[in-house]
Amino acid sequence: MRFRWLALFPLLFAAAFCAVAWWLLGSEALAPFNYWQRILVRVLGIAGAFAAVSGFDRGDHLRRAWLWLGAGTVVILARDLLRLIPAFEPGTSGPAAQMLVSGLGILSNLALLTGIWMLSRSWKMAAISLPGGRSGALAVAVVTAVLAVAVTAPAGLESARAFAAGDVGSLIYVVSAVVDVITLCLVAPLLLTAVSLRSGLFVWPWALITASQLSWLLYDAAAALQPGLVPAGFPLPDVFRGLAENYLCAAGLAQLLVVRQVRRASVRPASGGLAEIQTHGS
Amino acid sequence: MTSFSSSISEQVAARLAPYIGGFNAQMWIKSVARRDLNVSPEELSPAQLAPLVDGLRPFLQALMGRATADDLLQQISREVR
Repeated sequence: MRFRWLALFPLLFAAAFCAVAWWLLGSEALAPFNYWQRILVRVLGIAGAFAAVSGFDRGDHLRRAWLWLGAGTVVILARDLLRLIPAFEPGTSGPAAQMLVSGLGILSNLALLTGIWMLSRSWKMAAISLPGGRSGALAVAVVTAVLAVAVTAPAGLESARAFAAGDVGSLIYVVSAVVDVITLCLVAPLLLTAVSLRSGLFVWPWALITASQLSWLLYDAAAALQPGLVPAGFPLPDVFRGLAENYLCAAGLAQLLVVRQVRRASVRPASGGLAEIQTHGS
Repeated sequence: MTSFSSSISEQVAARLAPYIGGFNAQMWIKSVARRDLNVSPEELSPAQLAPLVDGLRPFLQALMGRATADDLLQQISREVR
């Protein structure tokens, strides 16, 4: 039951955020509300990632994967907090400050990519049979790659032109677009791993991390929307950013809970452990 | 002999299935039985439980970490007869 709540929590959070943002639309309070919401979801994402880390021992493959995801989110949180300082505010910062902010953004993207890449190759290490075989996996990978390119390419190309024209701050958007395409392509193995594990307890962390990555795809799509498709000033991309970070939080917590549940069940007498999983597993 | 042996793979699969699903559990056992022991899952004997458990270890470690995998495999070694 608690896993279902974990899956529901990001949606409830997004609904609450939409309601408040709608209510504040046109008011000066919307910008600070949106900013602190972003900080809150980053903190929740970090908490979830490090909760997952705590479930593993040093040297475990998944510990390293979650560590990269947590570290990447810490760096992007540092960048967001840095922007509170007037010298680092977007639009008014000097070239050195822009470089630092862009550098943190790039570092974060690379760390998150590493974490997702490590998670996405777990199915191979664990010899999990992906549904649909090689052709099924290839088909899902092609669909996600096409979606990722369609969503990120226009903004990426625009940023590449701006960077070529001397706008250093655009570099982060170029790197981000490239990393987004690669990361979104990795949704395919994550999704297929979740489908393969669907009748087991371990489906939860994989399904929730897949939901997080799909939310980033929606974030990119919302950021690329033409003006006029949503009410002016409504922070639609932030709705999906919050969804992505909160699903990262939920996935990390689910990872810790399933590992703990296996350990608890393993030390119980015969059949007691299995009965507990069947009772609390969903 | 056959029915007794097949119960080894069934018992192990029953203990793995709640975590990784029945299909993956059977595939893992089949893979280790064929690759490491040169037998089909139905031919596994109680004497082959230890090498089967050792063969499953890397798969489980990748998914749940070393300590948790060791706990689960110890439970399987304890309970499967």
